[in-house]
Amino acid sequence: MNESLVVVVRGLMAFFTLLIMTRAFGKQQVAQLDFFEYVLGISIGSIAATLTTDLSTKAFPQWVGLATWVGAVLVLQKANVKWRAVSKYFNGEPAIVVMDGKIMEKTMRRLRYTASDLLTQLRLKDVFDLSQVAYAVLETNGQLAVLLKPEYQPVVRKDMNLVGPPEAVTVELIFNGVIVEPNLQQAGVSQEWLLQQLRGQGIQDVSEVFLATINAQKQLYIDLYKDKIADWVDIDDEPQKRVRV
Amino acid sequence: MKRWAKIVLPVMVLALFVLVMTSDTYLKRPRSYKDDVGLHIHNVRSAVLAEDWAQGQASLAELDQAWRLMLARLQFSVERDEIRKLTTSLARLRGALLAQDKSGALMELAEAEQHWQDLGR
Repeated sequence: MNESLVVVVRGLMAFFTLLIMTRAFGKQQVAQLDFFEYVLGISIGSIAATLTTDLSTKAFPQWVGLATWVGAVLVLQKANVKWRAVSKYFNGEPAIVVMDGKIMEKTMRRLRYTASDLLTQLRLKDVFDLSQVAYAVLETNGQLAVLLKPEYQPVVRKDMNLVGPPEAVTVELIFNGVIVEPNLQQAGVSQEWLLQQLRGQGIQDVSEVFLATINAQKQLYIDLYKDKIADWVDIDDEPQKRVRV
Repeated sequence: MKRWAKIVLPVMVLALFVLVMTSDTYLKRPRSYKDDVGLHIHNVRSAVLAEDWAQGQASLAELDQAWRLMLARLQFSVERDEIRKLTTSLARLRGALLAQDKSGALMELAEAEQHWQDLGR
């Protein structure tokens, strides 16, 4: 028995099984996970690791265990989406911890959420004075949503009756030295126009460009493989280790 | 990638994994005389019962060979402990045949046969 070979085969099976099954989890970010989902993720990873390296048991029962955990998460996710009551039961509900500038001590005690936690999360939201807070809501994933009192809210264009230029998502025109042709049409520019713009900036060949994007105002952002930086800023403790790119 | 391929390809990959992991029952079946572990255990037992030690040694060599062939096929779908137990049983059997110990050899044969039957269950 070649144990290394068996570990490689079992490792690949565990890796691709996890990859395929977790794709079904959707686009939820790690920052959005609540504690239970976080623990679920760790448990599933642990089962996959055991499937890879624990050769003392057959691979299939461990694979079934992995599939069971992933399946349970999927069922829970579907139920959360479909039935609000289920979602409320499993995920809880957001709780108001500051109302009109007053701390809701009872709610915080129930949530085992300390004043220190509150102040920390407020500071992370650039709020250093509790008296500026109208409402603070502790979300189910542990994040704090803060609504400032009107007098402390920043002015926006609408308040000043100012109309800005239309915004749109920037489009990649060159990626890794290759023109992304479908995006040219989407951005409403031609290849000739793009090449002309490049030549205007002293770039003779597309392959010199790492990334080029265009915004709604038809302004190009171009980054070359060879960056010409006159004053190199180094934040490394060991300057000799820095890598110039 | 087309929508159907996005579904069909992962399902096929997962099905392949399940096939590899559950292939032991199929792969345990002998393909020829050379890899028929059950038959070679029977042959060694017949030689031991007849106290034909030379034949016993020859049959054990064939049993070892058959086990090595099986091992290459089954290693991905069976547990390592069962493999080790059967390998150890065959090593003990070799000693019992050298010592011409009939009862010891029969005990080891019975254990090896049991491990062979348990393999992959």
